Amino acid sequence: MITGTGISKTFRQRGGVLGAREVPALRDVDFAVERGGAVSFIGESGSGKTTLGRIIAGLETHDAGEIVIDGVPMSSLSHRRRQPYFRRVQLIHQDPYSALNPTRTIHQALEAPLALRARQTGRPRSWIDSRAQELLSMVGIDPGYVLPRYPHQLSGGMRQRVVIARALTMDPEVLVADEAVSMIDVSLRLGILALLKDLRERLGVGVLFITHDIATARYIGDDGELYVLYRGQVVERGATEKIIADPVHPYTQSLLSAIPVLHGLERPGAERVVPKEPQGEGRLGGCLFVPRCPFSTERCEQETPVLGRDGGPGQDTEQEQACFHPRRRSVIPVGVGE
Amino acid sequence: MTAHTATPHAAARDMEAPGVRIRDLTVVYKTPAGELPAVRGVDLTLAPGTITGVVGESGSGKSTLALSLLNAVQPPGRIAAGSVEIDGLGDVLTLRGEDLRRARGREVGYVFQAAQNSLNPLKTIGKQLLDLGRSHDVEDPRALVRDARDLLARMGMDGARVLDSYQHELSGGMRQRVGIMLALVLNAKVVVLDEPTTALDMITQATILRIIREVHEERALTTLVITHDVGAVAEVADDLAVMYGGRVVEHGPVTEVLGDARHPYTRGLIRAIPRLTGDLSLARALPGRPPTLGTLPAQGCVFRERCERRMDICETDDPAAVTHDGRTVACHATGRPLELVGREELV
Repeated sequence: MITGTGISKTFRQRGGVLGAREVPALRDVDFAVERGGAVSFIGESGSGKTTLGRIIAGLETHDAGEIVIDGVPMSSLSHRRRQPYFRRVQLIHQDPYSALNPTRTIHQALEAPLALRARQTGRPRSWIDSRAQELLSMVGIDPGYVLPRYPHQLSGGMRQRVVIARALTMDPEVLVADEAVSMIDVSLRLGILALLKDLRERLGVGVLFITHDIATARYIGDDGELYVLYRGQVVERGATEKIIADPVHPYTQSLLSAIPVLHGLERPGAERVVPKEPQGEGRLGGCLFVPRCPFSTERCEQETPVLGRDGGPGQDTEQEQACFHPRRRSVIPVGVGE
Repeated sequence: MTAHTATPHAAARDMEAPGVRIRDLTVVYKTPAGELPAVRGVDLTLAPGTITGVVGESGSGKSTLALSLLNAVQPPGRIAAGSVEIDGLGDVLTLRGEDLRRARGREVGYVFQAAQNSLNPLKTIGKQLLDLGRSHDVEDPRALVRDARDLLARMGMDGARVLDSYQHELSGGMRQRVGIMLALVLNAKVVVLDEPTTALDMITQATILRIIREVHEERALTTLVITHDVGAVAEVADDLAVMYGGRVVEHGPVTEVLGDARHPYTRGLIRAIPRLTGDLSLARALPGRPPTLGTLPAQGCVFRERCERRMDICETDDPAAVTHDGRTVACHATGRPLELVGREELV
C-alpha cells in the first residue's frame, strides 16, 4: 500500500522576460493506493498529474509531504535504501514507441530486468525464460511470436502490452499508468484498460491511472476512486462512478461537459458547463478556478476553499470537493434509449 | 477573384460552398513487395456546406485520402487512379505547377496533423503569415494581416499579440487555432483538418470543435475532418465516413451511422469507445489489430480477419459499396438494403 500526505512540489523556472518564476505543480495532495486498488488522477496538461506519477515512482523529488510505502516513510531512508521500495512502483509511459529500445528484441528487453530479479530472489537463470513467457501470456500476447521480434515489428497495442509485461518483471505492488492508452488505436484501447483491471484482480497489483479522459477511468474498475486535479490541487474526489454521475465542482463539470456526445446514441446533458477562457493566473489567496469559473462569487476571490464534504453530496458517500458553492448539474450525456 | 477580399463574411454569404466528389480514388505506395494500395477505389461525396468526418485507425488510409484533396501525395506514394472534382476548380488531380500551387491555400485550405509542430519555430506567426501571402501573390499585405487578426479574434484570441508571438509562446490550443487561421486566411472554401484535436486537453478540444463548427457556418465552407476519434467527429460533423484498410466501409449522416451502424467494423468501433454512460460489460475492444500496407489481404474483404459476421464470400470477393437511402455500406453480411434484411439480423 502506498500513501501520500501533503505532497507539494514547486518548479522554479529560470530565465524568461520576468526572471525566475515559481510554478506550483502540486499543492498539498493526499492520496492512498491500496493493494489491488484503482485510483485515477484526472486533469489537463499542467495539472501536475504527471509530476505526481513521477514522484510516486521515485523519479522526482517533492518539496513537502510524505510518501509511505508498506508502512515505511520514505523520508526516513537514505536515497539508496529507498530504491528497493520505489522498485515496487512501476511507471508505464504514454508512449510505447519510445519506452522500448529499438535495437533490442523483446526477449532482450525482458531478460535484463528478469536477470536482476533472479539475482535478488535467488532463482536460477533457467527461470528467466520461463518467467518471460509467463508474463507475456499474462498480458495477452503470444510469447513465441513476440519474443524474437523488435519493437518496430509490433503494433502500438502489442508494444504497450510488452511495456506492461516489463513493468511486471519487478513484481510491483503498484503500476502507475500515465496516459497509457492515449497513443493506442481506438479499437484496442479497451483491451489495455481491461488488462489493467485484470492484473488488479489476478495479481493484487494496485493501479494508479493518470489521464485527461475521465471516461477511460471507468474501465480499470468501477470500484475505483477518482481524484480531479486542477493546477496541482485536488478539487474533487470520490468513487469514480459517483463523481461521473454526480459531480459538484464546476471544474469537474467542465471536464465532463467537454467529452464529445455521440449523437445518435446519446443526447447532451441539459446543463453542460463551458468554462471561461483563462484570463491571467487569478489572484493570490482565492480559489484557483476563479479565472475560468462561470459561477464564482466574491467569496471565491477572497478565500481559498479546501477539500471537504460541506454542502456536497458526500455526507454519506465520502465524496469531497474544494468549492464554496457545490451544486449538482446534469452535464454528462444521456443514452438515447434511457 | 480579387487579390484579397477584406470582408470574407460578406463574401461568404453571397457564395455557395463548393461540393467535392472523389471518384474511384486509388493511391499506392511503393514498397519492397511492390506497389500496395493505401487507398483503394474510394468514392466519397462531400455535399456543399457540410462537415464530413472521416474516421479511421492507423493504416486506414485516411491521411492519404486527405492529401489527395490537395494532390499532394508524396513519393513513394502515387495517385494511381480516380478523380477529385471540386466545384469551380475541376479535377484537382489534373492540376499541375502554378495552377496546383494556387489551388492549395486559395481554394483548398489544409490544417496539418499536429499543427502544434507544423509552424516554424524561428519566425513569428505574423512573419509566417506574410510569407504565405507572398507565396500566393497577395497584393495587399495589410488587408491580409487585418483578415488574420479578425480570424484570430473570432476564435477568441488577441490577434495582434498572436501575430507577434513565436510558436513556443502559444499553447497547443492556440497553435491549433493559428493553423486554422493560416488555412482560411486566403479564403479557401474547402478546408481539410487532419487530426485537429489530437494531443489537446478535453476542454481545449471542445473549444476547437466549437470553433470549427462556427467558422464553417459563417464562411460557408465545405469541410473535411480526418480523425481517429469518433467522439470528435460525432460532436462536429454532419456526415461520417468510416475507413478501414484503405476502403470507405460505411458513410452516411452521423446520427444514423452512430445510432444504427451497419458495418461490423463501425459497430465494433462504437462498442470499443470508452464512454461515460452505459453498461461496462457491453464494452469491448475489437479483436485483432488494424492492418498495415503489408498485411492487407490481396483479395476479399479488408476487415474479414477481425469480423464477427465473416462468411465464405468475404475470403474471395471484396464487397462493393452499396448506397441506399443516403447510407453507404460495403459489407456482404449487412450491406444489403434494409428491406431485404430480416430486422433481427441488425440487432
